Amino acid sequence: MTAPARRPLASYVVGNAGLRRPSADAWRTAGITVVCVLVACALAALLVAISGGSPTEVVDALVTGSVADSAGWSQTLVNAAPLLLVALGACIANRAGVFNIGQEGQLLIGAMLGCFVALRLQGPGWMVITVALVAAAAGGGAWSGISAAMYYTRGTNVVVTTLLLTFIAAQVVQFAVNSPSLLQETGIGNGPARPQSDAVPEYLRLASFGQYPDLTIGVGVILAVVATVVLAVLIARSRWGFRLNMLGLNPMAARHAGIRASRLGGSALVLSGAFAGLAGGVILLGTVFRLQPAISNNFGWDGLLVALVARSRPGLALPVAVLFGGLRAGSSYLAATGVPDYLVDVVQALLVLAFVVPPVLSALWGRRIRNRSAVPDTPARPSAAPAKEEVPV
Amino acid sequence: MSHDRARTDGSVPALELRGISKRYGPVVACDAVDLTVERGEVHGLLGENGAGKSTLMKVLMGLVSPDAGEIHRDGARVEVHTPQQAAGHGLGMVHQHFSLIEPLTVWENVALGEPGRIDRDAVCADVEAVGARYGLTIDPTARVERLSAGERQRVELIKALRRDPKVLVLDEPTSVLTIAESAALFEVLRTSVAAEGRGVILISHKLAEITAATDVVTVLRRGRLAFHCRTADTSAPELARRMVGRDVSLQAEGAALGLVVTDDPAKHLSPVLAGGLSAVPAEPPAPQAPADVPGTAALALHGLRLAGPDGRVLLDSLDLEVATGEIVALYGVEGNGQATLGDLLSGLIAPDAGEVHVAGRPVALDRPGALHEAGVGVIPEDRHRSGVVLDMSVADNLVMTDLRRYSGRLLMRRAKIRAQAEELVERFAIRTPSIDAPLRTLSGGNQQRVVLARELSAEPTVLVAAQPTHGLDVGAIEDMFARLREAAASGVAVLLISTELEEVMALASRIAVISSGRITGVLDVADASPQRLGMLVGGEAA
Ligand SMILES: Nc1ncnc2c1ncn2[C@@H]1O[C@H](COP(=O)(O)OP(=O)(O)OP(=O)(O)O)[C@@H](O)[C@H]1O
Ligand SMILES: [Mg+2]
Repeated sequence: MTAPARRPLASYVVGNAGLRRPSADAWRTAGITVVCVLVACALAALLVAISGGSPTEVVDALVTGSVADSAGWSQTLVNAAPLLLVALGACIANRAGVFNIGQEGQLLIGAMLGCFVALRLQGPGWMVITVALVAAAAGGGAWSGISAAMYYTRGTNVVVTTLLLTFIAAQVVQFAVNSPSLLQETGIGNGPARPQSDAVPEYLRLASFGQYPDLTIGVGVILAVVATVVLAVLIARSRWGFRLNMLGLNPMAARHAGIRASRLGGSALVLSGAFAGLAGGVILLGTVFRLQPAISNNFGWDGLLVALVARSRPGLALPVAVLFGGLRAGSSYLAATGVPDYLVDVVQALLVLAFVVPPVLSALWGRRIRNRSAVPDTPARPSAAPAKEEVPV
Repeated sequence: MSHDRARTDGSVPALELRGISKRYGPVVACDAVDLTVERGEVHGLLGENGAGKSTLMKVLMGLVSPDAGEIHRDGARVEVHTPQQAAGHGLGMVHQHFSLIEPLTVWENVALGEPGRIDRDAVCADVEAVGARYGLTIDPTARVERLSAGERQRVELIKALRRDPKVLVLDEPTSVLTIAESAALFEVLRTSVAAEGRGVILISHKLAEITAATDVVTVLRRGRLAFHCRTADTSAPELARRMVGRDVSLQAEGAALGLVVTDDPAKHLSPVLAGGLSAVPAEPPAPQAPADVPGTAALALHGLRLAGPDGRVLLDSLDLEVATGEIVALYGVEGNGQATLGDLLSGLIAPDAGEVHVAGRPVALDRPGALHEAGVGVIPEDRHRSGVVLDMSVADNLVMTDLRRYSGRLLMRRAKIRAQAEELVERFAIRTPSIDAPLRTLSGGNQQRVVLARELSAEPTVLVAAQPTHGLDVGAIEDMFARLREAAASGVAVLLISTELEEVMALASRIAVISSGRITGVLDVADASPQRLGMLVGGEAA
């Protein structure tokens, strides 16, 4: 009785397309977030103190690395761009009701193809960069396209295939950077060639505007922001967005209305992989400059998290990505100050949790409140109300 | 207003709701409603679509917290904030819309949500025992997704009854049961209610059911208590008037309400009612279609054959033709392939063999939307399943099958959508706070109206209406009948899929009877005697 049969999974992951006034729930979520962040900070400080470090220095490093000055902000934005691109892709798939969780692998494949083009293609810089980015997107899209094909022809679970293909992608990249005939670096001098590609030549690196001590904004950031705006408009206003939402929220009704799930849902899955692949290309040409097995550096997983926290709303994914980008920038600065890696990871994980958990807590708490008290004159918030209000009429 | 009169013997009522109020923003769903249910009483709750019936009952079940009001059980005030608390106080409810988990089996659904260890055999035995007692037979090991709407309703009922509630709420429980089933159910309910001192609250739009099965009735109007009386002291026409606030000509909708008396042997009408209303003439049959149209029928089904995943034959060489301007009824006992045919004509499944021709041209059934493009409008039987998207707005739901008309090359035309939505809300009297409200927040009947409005306004050449009056209130049924006739008169071929003989007799010019996925006979309405139909329904050729 508590679980309404007809509530599609997508409706829990997907926020409403339209903008809503901040409600009681939103305020509650904000409050809980503040508390959670404070708790996470306290825990992190405790851990640092126990392991012999200085909590104040850690906090100082986190802030310095992310938001203290324009150099910190530059780092934050550099990290935010790929996160945002991955998240946008995840928004598309989630809205169509197909759950792609293999962005990490799609990003790797994207980076690999981008690298291949950048190293092999001759031509003017702008053209090679464009082709490399398109190839990166195509690679990521093809990788998730495999999952789409398996799902729509044989019904193989998308979550399972996208996840498993991530591990295969990691192996493929390993192979590529270990094969001299493919992408392994042409060892200069005497040392043995390492498992990575040659560096992308200077003229093929993504431009950025601004000089070091000032704020620098890379092409990747601009690309991600433009994509966000376009996607937000498309999802809220276009026929494609309408059909996407419909497919995710009620596939039966969508079919009744003439939507072909294999076409629309399949293309959504491919598109989400393409965004992850593009993120891989941006990382390659924007920051890392060579293909390494670790180039994905959890950007895929974290980007997916961004989309989930943002409830698959592109507009919301933007600030969330900046937040997560800040955390990443702060923690890499922290690592540079000599704090052990594992501590950095724990601190970062605690902070991420502090931002992921509040919406869930808020929903549970809201349910309790609705159960316990009868608050008069509180306008009900129908659409996103938790299970209790969702029991069929 | 005489709702204090109910108690005569000084005993404590089984259940008392006092001053229950609930607002949703500007909408007052319940406005200081009082309701008393005595032990051993079946209490009818009536009201138009959106009157607040379901909301009141959800307050009682701890699913909605009221703004004000108290609940008393056996004379003592109780707090009901969660469904678990409600169950603890012996309150059980069958909801208006299904809340079953489709991939699970019947017994699993029945046991779902119960604390403690679950014993499969015990639950299965229970399902069978309860089923036998209340005349609701079902296979406990069947998967719910394979069940027809009527069978699902039985599962819901068994689930509620098995927990042995002291007060049972039935929110439109019979809209998808056959008349025989609901009659049997109410008979058992009444005897068990009287013998064991339970209370039952019955919500229904079928006045015949209310007058036959209840002891007391309460009418809600726009969230307020409008009328309360012993059932014996009132009549169907009076109840209809109290609900709508005006006189209702029971002629048009009488059939759908089960007020027009036919000799259907399966039907148990109270003698009072039968006597009181037999004078009401059934509507004359719809405009007669030219008999044996040569050439092209607007809708032609040829040799449709479909087997379920388990190999069971769902449709068996089904042939049927509907001419332009004709209303043909597909009549039969629920679960004989109607739902499958409905899904097929909605484009949800493709047949194993056979063809569908619309206006003489074959339709590619494996392409989603092909039937819709060919001009087939469908009012699906289970509106929640394929008719609406609950989490989208009323406006979006009103245009979603015809997106091309409401969008440019790329972007949706918001203004055009809003204009159309405003017009349909007005024309079909859909009660909603705004066209932007999520469909989920509309009352059950108003959700139905959204589907009807969309499909009827799309100007189809063929209209397939499956159980079109389910869940509609008296006024809306009147309106629905008029619209179907109007549609037929303007040249639409209407296929009416219905399990209700009265509805079929009142609307159709020809009746095709379906049994085990086959058409067992087609009769002109003039030749259709209950006996002949009964034989066809049973699977015998007439
Ligand atoms: N969750 C909700 N949010 C906002 N409004 C709601 C919500 N639930 C119900 N309403 C409104 O409350 C009113 C009463 O609805 P309710 O479901 O109780 O009607 P009902 O009497 O059961 O009608 P029906 O016969 O159509 O089932 C309706 O106007 C409906 O729009
Ligand atoms: Mg209702």
